[in-house]
Amino acid sequence: MNFFETLFPVLETKFNVEKDASAHWDHSVIAKASVLRDLIIFLRDDESSKMEMLLDVVGIDYLGFQDYEGPRFAVEYVFKSISHPGRRVRVKVFVSEQDLEVPTISDLYPIANWQEREVYDQYGILFKDHPDLRRILNHVEFEGHPLRKDYPAHRRQWLSTNDFLLPALEKRLESKGYKVVQHSKEVLPNEDEYLTGSIQE
Amino acid sequence: MTPEAREGNIFTSSLDFLVNWGRKNSLWPFPYGTACCAIEFMSTETARYDLSRIGSEYVRFTPRQSDVLLVAGTITYKQAPILKRIYEQMAEPRWVIAMGACACSGGFYDCYCTVPGIDHIIPVDVYIGGCPPRPESFFDAMFDLQKKVEDESYMKQRAERLKDQIEDIKRKSKECREDLILRKNEACEMVSNTVRSKVNDVLDVFPFKKGR
Amino acid sequence: MKVIAPNGDKLNLMPLNVGPSHGATHGCLRYFCALDGESIVATVGEIGYLHRGFEKMAERGTWQQVVPYTDRLNYCSAMMNNIAYCRAVENMFQMELPERTKILRVIINELSRMADHCICVAAAAQDLGSTTGFFYLFDSREMMMVIWEKLTGARLTNSYSRIGGLYRDTYDGFEEDVLAVCKQAEKNLRDVHACFDRNRIFLDRTVGIGAMKPERAIQWGWTGPCLRATGVASDLRKDEPYYDYETYDWNVVTGTAGDVYDRLMVRLAEIEESIKIVRQALKRLTPGPIDIMDPRIRVPSHALAYQDIESLIGRFKSVYEGVRVPAGEYYCGSEAANGELGFTLVSDGSGKPWRVKVRPPCFTQFAAFQELVEGSMLTDSVATLSSINIIAGELDR
Repeated sequence: MNFFETLFPVLETKFNVEKDASAHWDHSVIAKASVLRDLIIFLRDDESSKMEMLLDVVGIDYLGFQDYEGPRFAVEYVFKSISHPGRRVRVKVFVSEQDLEVPTISDLYPIANWQEREVYDQYGILFKDHPDLRRILNHVEFEGHPLRKDYPAHRRQWLSTNDFLLPALEKRLESKGYKVVQHSKEVLPNEDEYLTGSIQE
Repeated sequence: MTPEAREGNIFTSSLDFLVNWGRKNSLWPFPYGTACCAIEFMSTETARYDLSRIGSEYVRFTPRQSDVLLVAGTITYKQAPILKRIYEQMAEPRWVIAMGACACSGGFYDCYCTVPGIDHIIPVDVYIGGCPPRPESFFDAMFDLQKKVEDESYMKQRAERLKDQIEDIKRKSKECREDLILRKNEACEMVSNTVRSKVNDVLDVFPFKKGR
Repeated sequence: MKVIAPNGDKLNLMPLNVGPSHGATHGCLRYFCALDGESIVATVGEIGYLHRGFEKMAERGTWQQVVPYTDRLNYCSAMMNNIAYCRAVENMFQMELPERTKILRVIINELSRMADHCICVAAAAQDLGSTTGFFYLFDSREMMMVIWEKLTGARLTNSYSRIGGLYRDTYDGFEEDVLAVCKQAEKNLRDVHACFDRNRIFLDRTVGIGAMKPERAIQWGWTGPCLRATGVASDLRKDEPYYDYETYDWNVVTGTAGDVYDRLMVRLAEIEESIKIVRQALKRLTPGPIDIMDPRIRVPSHALAYQDIESLIGRFKSVYEGVRVPAGEYYCGSEAANGELGFTLVSDGSGKPWRVKVRPPCFTQFAAFQELVEGSMLTDSVATLSSINIIAGELDR
């Protein structure tokens, strides 16, 4: 018997999730953003599912999708179980254009940190309480979010100088328990001092 | 004394020929490899193709010790400033090879993040087409570059550089002279001002009757 | 950078930038570390220097036109990406491939895996100073390149697979060439093991360096040889078999410590397993069709198009409109050389993909890089980086 057929009623009663009608070939559930964290903790820890591995966080923009009505964006989490090989499940959360906010799961799965940063970079979806929500694939001076359907593929944006990583390094040091005596001055990308590339004491 | 030496082991040539001969047979590449083309460059280095046949096997990963900047792979807007900086760090004479469609024109990544050809950032000497180019076409480009190096005149370049330098010196000395004259005038004025004030001081101490 | 350590020591750390155009950062990635003497206290990685907009480009073309872009994801084993993508789309059609295609895809998959592992270990050897190992491993790889050329016409980015079949059938003498490569690869493997196994320098620089615990590796989402090196026997070819992988006789290779040495040795051992699979698959290879017979999916052949009007129309339609994949969403992962290469596909029923999201295996491995190297020496970070096999094209897409 398929594991999902036993798992889904549990999820339905506990977290009020729905089956994703567009998933014809694998298993996917649609959850509300408010129960997302609880649902994912359940999926990760409960013996019946044991989804230990977060494979991917996918952003989707439905602007102009055929016969579609509903929130514009969706974030999809792809999970896989290691203890029960072959079990996979996807969790989908719809995000409307007005609030654009999803709770982060980067404390549950460390890899979610970068994957959420990528979704933020490409779609502009904000992850609440994310420790370090910066752009990851595009450069610092990039404006807009390229994978949105209304971003023209040809709108090119030049970068004037390289990224400034010292604040990120200090953040990392502080998360490891070090105390930074003197912070480097964080300069905005548009300031002249930034352009000369000087690292300020 | 060996017979060879007795016969006069001397030949004459131009300095240009000698310098170019040396330069073209030891073109040390800096592989700015970013993507697929860099893997083909690795194949070029291996035993089957053997880049050392033309004296370029000595791959340097520092721009200051290399002659040829080999841009192999896509250049995105995020790394465009880095590429430019690396080019600027290279010592003259320097040449650039754009390897592969992406470096030449952006390739089929016609997109928000890809630079449409590195010639938007730095000057390019030789372009190699292909996605990725075969090692043979890389060799072809190296031969082209060797021909280009051969045609350059070291003496002419030096003369031009010297001319620039001499003009620079002339201009600077002229500026200095003008500056000096200006300062001299200023100094004279200052001296005369001081003398005048001193005289006035003396006059204050020993007042003479005016209009005498 | 003046800091106070958790134990109260006052330290003066030196920030050091490595990359993005550094000899040891294969491709272009960058890490910025705070050094105390020669040991790394903290480091942050930065990626995106080769972000070429794969996902945006994929949305612009038809489903078949994505195939050349997938070549450039992991360019060390290009055909494996084609096959992984085509498999994902074919699963949405729920089609059954001809037997010959399945076996050919297995052979090509395993040869690509060998080539990829060859590059990874060769580059790691080069970074550790062993140029001899580099030449040995590239030797058999160059032989594979000759096969690719004969088979597809290209050396590196082959685009051999199509949705519902393959680009073309094999040439005469394919089997002998593949067997010759297997033989040569075995010989080269013996040479490489002779270089490494009792080499003091190699062992000192790899054993116990950059170790990862299996639980932590799972949390970080590691897959493929890097996860198997930590001792977790997780391989999609065994767990969720496709293309009849379960019928071949081979073993999942696992390590014990999850350090640099294990990762490199797991890769070398996987080459041996791949040779086993290729030899068995060659025995099963029988003549037959390589494409499914459905003009809506697979383009009718030239011979047919010149003869009847339906096939000609089929060719036009498949070029202009593309394959009409049924509407829906699907995630499909395949075991690529570096780990699980997954494609999340969203189709709206038209000829163009609505969304193609790649799940690159080395993204997760590089995200965990800071945990691997913090506390170790700067030189060890080079060995660690080459052992996790970062392919920038796949990392940044």
